[in-house]
Amino acid sequence: MSNTEYASAVAAIKAMESTLLSRNDIEQLINTSTLNELKTLLESKAASDDLNEVWDMLSAYAPDCEELKILLYRNDFHNLKAVLKAMLSGRDPAHYYIAPSNVPLETLVSAFSSKEFDLLPKYMAETAEKAYETATLTLDGQLSDSYIDSAALAAMQKSADETGNAFMQKFAQLITVCADIKTAYRCSVMNKSRQFLETAVCGSRELDKESLIRAALAGTDPLLSFLEGTVYKETAEMLKESPAQFEKWCDDVMIDHAESARVMAFGIEPLAAYYIAKEAEIKNLRILKVCKECGADRETITERMRKLYV
Amino acid sequence: MNSLGLALAIIGAACASLFAGIGSAKGVGLVGEAAAGVVSVDPNKFSKVLILQLLPGTQGLYGLLTAILMLRKIGILGGDVVDLSTAQGLMFLGAAMPIAIVGLFSGIAQGRAAAAGVGITAKKPEHNGKGIIMAAMVETYAILALLVSILIINNIAV
Repeated sequence: MSNTEYASAVAAIKAMESTLLSRNDIEQLINTSTLNELKTLLESKAASDDLNEVWDMLSAYAPDCEELKILLYRNDFHNLKAVLKAMLSGRDPAHYYIAPSNVPLETLVSAFSSKEFDLLPKYMAETAEKAYETATLTLDGQLSDSYIDSAALAAMQKSADETGNAFMQKFAQLITVCADIKTAYRCSVMNKSRQFLETAVCGSRELDKESLIRAALAGTDPLLSFLEGTVYKETAEMLKESPAQFEKWCDDVMIDHAESARVMAFGIEPLAAYYIAKEAEIKNLRILKVCKECGADRETITERMRKLYV
Repeated sequence: MNSLGLALAIIGAACASLFAGIGSAKGVGLVGEAAAGVVSVDPNKFSKVLILQLLPGTQGLYGLLTAILMLRKIGILGGDVVDLSTAQGLMFLGAAMPIAIVGLFSGIAQGRAAAAGVGITAKKPEHNGKGIIMAAMVETYAILALLVSILIINNIAV
């Protein structure tokens, strides 16, 4: 009889789901002939492309929900990278900060300026300190970036495990698997060293870190053969087609995961799913705008469109 | 006068009203939460979600009805209190149990079903009726429990 949390938030989200762009809407948008026509049609559909608004709304409905914060870890760690680099190169970090984020820009700036990394949330304090050391001692921006990226994935998995929420655990797993495969593939193409791979690959329950590194070091073909033997064999097929197809697969698999929450009437899952859906919708709109700007044909645009939640 | 018998009967009446009432309060509250969420986004759906919110309220009424029937039978309401044996008191207590227990659980369960129905109304208002029907199915068991409680009360010889 329990687990009736966030009944109000879920009901509100269900009402808002009807405002997400449908397949028909996307078809209409694809069929527009110019970017201006696309913009006009978008305005008529009142489709918001501001993820901040979505996050503010979710935070208002579920202010005490720790699980939802995991959705923003990627932005948090991106901002960590951006602020670190901006500060080291004497640029304004505000230009590189992306929202929504769990950590305000001011907190990041003061943590780095005062070297008081305890100002940051627990899940990123240690990473920030180590990244700062790496960046200042080695002056290797790529290494420090890879370290932060990998730490972000580990933090996401750890926090998701701590909440014990299966939906968030799977979310963290999928994000990690996609990022690890992407890193391993790029490293295999660029012949990166084991040391670099060990920093950049995070590893997860479903995709062992050591095996993935070994396969990536052996080259692209052994990596794809290794992937074919895992539960993510589809990724090997996608990578064989093109890295862009793999990127699309990564986005689509997140929507498939979000779909599992559609039937739930309570809990944080529908809220997280809505955020994921809105993120995908905004990505679709960006792709559409870029394609229209470049004058891409209908087929190319359709091929690049991500799966929709509704 | 055997005060224990009377006390048991009054406890029975209280249980019928109390537990069924708790079930309804929880159910109506849960649907209310969900309904408020929908209305905050689309105030026009107020009347549709209100019907769903009312559904889990019936258990409380059944509990009240059972309590009134019992209190009338033992003369508390009429002013002429009946002398009850301990066995008769226990019978009244037993008579209250079906609606008390089923009322509690079915009220909460119906609340969950109706809150899920609010989700249907939120997303597909034209299918609102399906949400109502699904939530109303839970009502069957509350009605059966009420029926059993009334049958027992009516057949206790005082």
